[in-house]
Amino acid sequence: MKKKRPIQALNEKARAIQSLAEGEEQTVEALQEGPPTMPVGCTTIFDTGWETNPRPTYPVGNCQASAKDFHGCAGDCWWPAQVPDGLTNHEDFDKQCPNVARDWRVLKYD
Amino acid sequence: MYKQKVSLLLISAVCAGMISATALAKDTFYYIGYGMIQVVDGDSDEIVADIPVDGWLRETDFSADRKFLFAVGKRHLIHKIDLAEKRVVSTIDVSGAGWDRFIYGFDLAPDGKSAFVNLLARTTSKGEAVVAAPMLAQIDLKDGRILRSIEVPWGSAMLVTVKNGNGIKNATTIYVIGKDIVKVDVSSEEMKVIGTYPMFEKKWNILPLWENTMENGGIFMVNYYTPEFMGLVSIDSDSGEIKDIPLDGAPVFAYSVMLSPDKKKVYAVMDELTVIDLETRSYEQSIPIPGGTNYAINVSSDGRKVYVSGGGSTTTVFDAESLKPIKVLQMETDGMDFRRLSN
Repeated sequence: MKKKRPIQALNEKARAIQSLAEGEEQTVEALQEGPPTMPVGCTTIFDTGWETNPRPTYPVGNCQASAKDFHGCAGDCWWPAQVPDGLTNHEDFDKQCPNVARDWRVLKYD
Repeated sequence: MYKQKVSLLLISAVCAGMISATALAKDTFYYIGYGMIQVVDGDSDEIVADIPVDGWLRETDFSADRKFLFAVGKRHLIHKIDLAEKRVVSTIDVSGAGWDRFIYGFDLAPDGKSAFVNLLARTTSKGEAVVAAPMLAQIDLKDGRILRSIEVPWGSAMLVTVKNGNGIKNATTIYVIGKDIVKVDVSSEEMKVIGTYPMFEKKWNILPLWENTMENGGIFMVNYYTPEFMGLVSIDSDSGEIKDIPLDGAPVFAYSVMLSPDKKKVYAVMDELTVIDLETRSYEQSIPIPGGTNYAINVSSDGRKVYVSGGGSTTTVFDAESLKPIKVLQMETDGMDFRRLSN
């Protein structure tokens, strides 16, 4: 019996994505695999799982309100996709928005 | 009888002196913000001065004479702040000669002219990124020049200077805190690793970003987590002794901790303010912070007030006995830390 592939590309876009992925090599490595795998320009601190929700009930999630954690995450590039990274691309991000709860409307970054 | 009276008088005088010294201790707090340090008077709990400082601020350290505060901005600028004049008097940049360098861990050296820093460095060569191995370096505070260095593990984020490392008088040793605590002897010309205190293999997860050695009377303390419990690890900056204090009960979540002045309690902060009894190694009380999350915590030198601050732009002052909020200060910017200087 022929084994079914778990996911099949059914339309043109999906087939295009599939062809892009063919032959793709590993691009992600665990940070513990030996130096120098820790990227500079992103967080350099050993801190796994700190931001996961520790509680079954209220308050759900960490950092109430989340704006309170914005600058802490941004400067050192904890979450570079979500907040400006202060190490490479947005070194002076804090100047336009030093107080997130007050200034968030003027915050601009790519 | 006469001897007894004299002894009593002497004891009374010493006690009075101690009380008087305690009463006279003047607390000033420094709110480590964004482009600014704000000064808070410890008696009135009012903001009394703003000190403009370039960059988002992280590590800080007070000079031994308590006249200057050094603050790291944007992970590569070291600002020297005159606390009397309340202004930045000099700034050095550790980046240069084609290298971006970032500071993750800063401690002034005993000579007062240099500092120990944990440095990460990057550059580009022929279009490729080049990342140097992390190093513990001693730098000249005049110009940021690296005087000497030694490679240290990835993931280090805090330095604690120990005066008498390995029990040897004046054998200055830097404890580099990351996944483990690496002890580096810096007392002779060549820096050398003399030991490692394991944490990673014990499944400890720590966030050593808040410096508190001075406020804790020479004890650096940070909380850690295992999959099962929370604990405290302390470093005696005089002897170098490392203590592990596992805590009973379901863990509370805390960014940072601070000892009470009598060293009987530990205050912890994140979304809640938590009191930990050090004798029973258990959680005594935990209350939500009305203003939400804070990163940093501090205690007045008389132990009567607890301050939670940083993260967002509020600083809340609690009565240490009742844990009732006394005052909420609206700071100009968000913040990272809240340091205390007592004179």
